[in-house]
Amino acid sequence: MSIRDESIGDRIGTFGREAIRNGWTRERFVLLGLLGLVLVSLGPPFQVYLFTEFLIIALFALAFNLLYGYTGLLSFGHAMFYAGGSYGLAIVLRDLQPHIADTIGSGIAPLVTFVIGGLIAVVGVLLLAIPIGWLSVRLEEIYFALITLAFGMLVYSFIIQNPQGLTNGTDGIIVTLGITEIGGTELRLGDRQTYYFLTLAVVLPSIYAIWRIVHSPFGTICKSIRESPDRAAALGVNVTHHRWMTFIVSAVFVAISGVLIAGLANVASPYHSHWTTSAIPVIATVIGGATYFSGPIVGAFVYLYVRWGISRYPVLEAYWEFFFGVMLIVVVLYFKGGAAGGLVLLQAWLLDVRTAYERGGTSEAWAFVRESAAEKQRNLSARLSNLGRSEPSEGAER
Amino acid sequence: MTTVLKTEELRKQFGDLVAVDDVSLEIGGEEITSIIGPNGAGKTTFYNLLTGVLEPSSGSIWLGKEGDLREITDDPPHEVARNGLSRSYQITNIFEGLTVRENVQVARITHEGRTFDFRSRAAKDEELNEDVDELLALTNLTELAETPCETLSHGEKRNVEIALALAIEPTVFLLDEPTAGMNPTETREIVSLIRELDEDIDATFVVTEHNMDVVTDISDRIVVLAEGAVLADGEPREVLSDERVTEAYLGSEA
Repeated sequence: MSIRDESIGDRIGTFGREAIRNGWTRERFVLLGLLGLVLVSLGPPFQVYLFTEFLIIALFALAFNLLYGYTGLLSFGHAMFYAGGSYGLAIVLRDLQPHIADTIGSGIAPLVTFVIGGLIAVVGVLLLAIPIGWLSVRLEEIYFALITLAFGMLVYSFIIQNPQGLTNGTDGIIVTLGITEIGGTELRLGDRQTYYFLTLAVVLPSIYAIWRIVHSPFGTICKSIRESPDRAAALGVNVTHHRWMTFIVSAVFVAISGVLIAGLANVASPYHSHWTTSAIPVIATVIGGATYFSGPIVGAFVYLYVRWGISRYPVLEAYWEFFFGVMLIVVVLYFKGGAAGGLVLLQAWLLDVRTAYERGGTSEAWAFVRESAAEKQRNLSARLSNLGRSEPSEGAER
Repeated sequence: MTTVLKTEELRKQFGDLVAVDDVSLEIGGEEITSIIGPNGAGKTTFYNLLTGVLEPSSGSIWLGKEGDLREITDDPPHEVARNGLSRSYQITNIFEGLTVRENVQVARITHEGRTFDFRSRAAKDEELNEDVDELLALTNLTELAETPCETLSHGEKRNVEIALALAIEPTVFLLDEPTAGMNPTETREIVSLIRELDEDIDATFVVTEHNMDVVTDISDRIVVLAEGAVLADGEPREVLSDERVTEAYLGSEA
């Protein structure tokens, strides 16, 4: 024991355990996390941009998963609410900014217009989601996916049509956030760092709100509908009505992420409403794991950073969709709970390694690592030889 | 006898097939009624009509406490449940992915009209969980409260099913084949649980059952359905010695 105590790894391990035992409460971990988030803002501008985009996509995917992972409805048209958010903001900024500046003075006008634009966009999406949701939740499973896809493409073609010059057709609307003056200090809202903090200030409370919804009685009912709609109905749950309400709540949070993306990308683009955008939260959620609250967040992280990693190699970038396809196949085949599920398994595995280490030192731990790696390999080859048969053999599960 | 559930010439046709043929029944508040009949007699269809899953072709259904009956013929399933008709399923139907506690929470949340409560946290809501704990104790599930339902045994799942149905404090509780797929020990346990519950709880039990020992054991009254119509109705001994009943069973099962 005395010799091992000298090693750095052990000291860090002991420190961590002691820290948890001696009051590294959740609050302190949250503080540490917040500190990390502040540190991110000091990175190079592109990294700040990428992380901001990650936060926005994470919110988009979380809101989508409220309907998919928690209520059991796969929407393939959530881009319409995303675009609703971004176009709502863009249109208000373009058409109302001068009027707002006239009323309250040009100094603070850009910030106020952004807030008003965001609110109008969210209310607009709410009004859109009420009838679309009412019609869509009457269908289930693949029919639900198809009707939401249809509504999504309807919104897309509406935007492309440029009715009365409202949406500026295929070019989209440029979003200029301008310079706000408060008490003599200038604040460029479009500045990477400033916008990052603005995004944080919106996304973190939104994530907390979704977390509370998921854990509220409302969320419990959602989960029961996912598990067995007819059972829920037999207990007095109005399944259609509850799905409708969840649809609306989900759309509202997607709209918030849409508002943020317009400010980040400096444009409200028809691409935001295209079905390929609807696929983003689906992919992020599947990669991350729909059954975990954090799944969509982890998935959004993987999605954006893997994409970024690929983009640095032009040869790979030309085929980035191919790599995503491979990644999806691997996740679907081998990680039942997605990346978040994988992390949970990894954590359990690390705990096992630690137990082995505490039992017999480095050699024991190493033996355990080799043992489990060999087992993984056996399972993998069993899986591969089972591919093509309808049922994977038992025991190949883990 | 105060009637809690009544059907008047209830009929269900699928094309030319008459699954339920003008059934008029009155079920009283103090007795356990068993509805039996050979396979295809229309028992499950009858249940599905009562619970609003199927729409009757004609006839009416009435439900209520202390003789104050309300018509529920055209109500959708969730309205029927809110009006006091609760059921268990022949093939266990619970929320497999949730824990036992969460399962019962669902029923309590609905019953307390809190399905749109966003503010409270289900896991920490004392009022909610007090009621849940009480129900779990009643159905011998206290120790399994935090267990995910998919890992329970068949018998334990049955208990969850019963806890769910009771959680909405029903006037009438329809049990569909409560002992289906159970071994003799589990069967004995569920029968004694139903007996206990009938004593403790202010609900009227209606049971469909294949196991004749169970039927004679728990019923105060037996209704025999054959080809969708009521063939016999009365006290167990009387009904089971009825020649037409034996004939219906042997005739269709032979």
